[in-house]
Amino acid sequence: MVMSFFRRPEEGGLEQIDAQVQRMVNDARHTFDLAMSAVTGGAVETVAEEVRRTDRQINLTEMEIRRALLVHASVHGATDTPEVLVFMNMVKDLERIGDYNKNIFDLAEEGVSLAGSPDLEEILALRDEVSSRIALMGEILATRDEERARAYISRGDELRRGFDEKVRALIHSTEPGVLAVPRALLFRFLKRISAHSLNVVSAVVMPVDQLDYFDESEDTRL
Amino acid sequence: MTNETAFDGPKPRTLPTSVRGLLVLALLYMFLTGVNLLGGGFKTLGNDLVDGLFQGVSNPVAGLFVGLLATVLVQSSSVSTSVIVGLVASGVVSTSDAVPMIMGANLGTTVTNTLASLGHVRRDAEFRRAFAAATVHDFFNIMAVVVFLPLELATGYLSSSAAWITERVVGSGGSDFKSPLKAAVKMPANWVKDLLASLGAHGDLKGGLMIAVGLVFIFVALAFITKNMRLLVADRVEAAINKALGAGSGVVAMALGLIITVAVQSSSITTAVMVPLAASGVLTLGNIYPVTLGANVGTTVTALLAALATGSPAAVTVAVVHTLFNISGIVVFYPLPALRRIPLRLAESLAALATERRAVAVAYTLIMFVVIPLTGVLVLR
Repeated sequence: MVMSFFRRPEEGGLEQIDAQVQRMVNDARHTFDLAMSAVTGGAVETVAEEVRRTDRQINLTEMEIRRALLVHASVHGATDTPEVLVFMNMVKDLERIGDYNKNIFDLAEEGVSLAGSPDLEEILALRDEVSSRIALMGEILATRDEERARAYISRGDELRRGFDEKVRALIHSTEPGVLAVPRALLFRFLKRISAHSLNVVSAVVMPVDQLDYFDESEDTRL
Repeated sequence: MTNETAFDGPKPRTLPTSVRGLLVLALLYMFLTGVNLLGGGFKTLGNDLVDGLFQGVSNPVAGLFVGLLATVLVQSSSVSTSVIVGLVASGVVSTSDAVPMIMGANLGTTVTNTLASLGHVRRDAEFRRAFAAATVHDFFNIMAVVVFLPLELATGYLSSSAAWITERVVGSGGSDFKSPLKAAVKMPANWVKDLLASLGAHGDLKGGLMIAVGLVFIFVALAFITKNMRLLVADRVEAAINKALGAGSGVVAMALGLIITVAVQSSSITTAVMVPLAASGVLTLGNIYPVTLGANVGTTVTALLAALATGSPAAVTVAVVHTLFNISGIVVFYPLPALRRIPLRLAESLAALATERRAVAVAYTLIMFVVIPLTGVLVLR
């Protein structure tokens, strides 16, 4: 451990934190896929432990990153303050994505299965899109591609509006609660996952003081 | 509001590593030249003037407070111990008089962290942790002085052990040894002396100006060495803290504190990095403490380098005393859990008091680092 001081680190502190963030993104996608599979008719009990283990890993990685950011700030001083603040914000959003994934899995554990649902195909398409968007979020973070980030945010706004419409429709529908409530919760969780992923990607195109203004509608954003 | 994202904000321009490394070497050269000039300046001064300046330090407690006060004023034990080494090399201060001054310098260096911890004063839990992390260093140093100053006065344990080591490394204390460092800095030191002479300065004036130039060289060089070394080794320090602290043993933490301090040439920087980590709770007081002890030993390297540049065995002895003093403190107070806990408990108690009443923190800082040493110097000289 002591001799490691004399070896030049392969990556700087923030590069290592970047790598840890990518791990969080991969874990988030993994739990999302497992949770959505479980709630759309896939296995539930066999993946329960994996979902919980990965969720714990996401939480642990968040704590490790926060610790690493504090060490970085203490050693380097104020030089990287904006990036440190952004990473602190980002890992919070990624951890929330993990939480919402687990919320989706909780529906499956409560016996919810959308396998026979008339809108199953639409839900599976949304599942595929949100899953690939989680992966895309990681790519955009890695490349800091502003053009892709803006396209991502634009499509994210459309998805957000779509989920809101579905929830509103279910609120006003005459379907029995046992059918409407789980789907309303699912769409609400999917909306939150999309919103948090927009928050993460916003770091690529927004100044620090304007991060995260994607939970509100476009007319309240700056 | 800014328009730039966090990832494309302006970064400060940095020198290439190789250039910065060369700059550090140049600054080190400047520092050693300053030590040489300082010693030469005092040698040039008349005996009466020098005796008048340093008459008080033969009282060991006065010497302790002079060392403490000098370090508080310059905010760097590296500067003050290098000056003390220069004084010994010039024959102005004897080895036995210098030992308490060195101990005082050790005490005074902790003021920087104590002041830094006051930055957390608005949040109770954070302030309590930060203040404890800063003052644990104070309490260790106080305990070391309480034990080793009387021991040194009674037995000469530190100075005779250091003299024994010096004799084996550089030869006996009768005359100057052939120091390659001294030879290396002779030329620029002579340029300064010749320049002062050409400006009409002779005798005490020339001696005084050499001392002033020497002090400026020492101060400026160390300040910039620290700044540049911090930038050069920041990534390694960060990686070392992430890997080892909290996960490694106390010995590993101590070794890291030593290595980091030698690298950045400042114990205050090393311990100042630790205070916010302790304040945030990332590291505990128990994690910080051995790093602090390692930093205490690491900071003695500067005085050793300065001493080697003087060619004076007495100066080397004093520098070795500094190292031995800190190592002895660790050997006595760290291995046994009961003794190891004492400075931790004292720091935690004081921090708890200071959290209840912030005035305690301010009063402690003023009394410990200004009132007591200043009063001591004025009364005892």
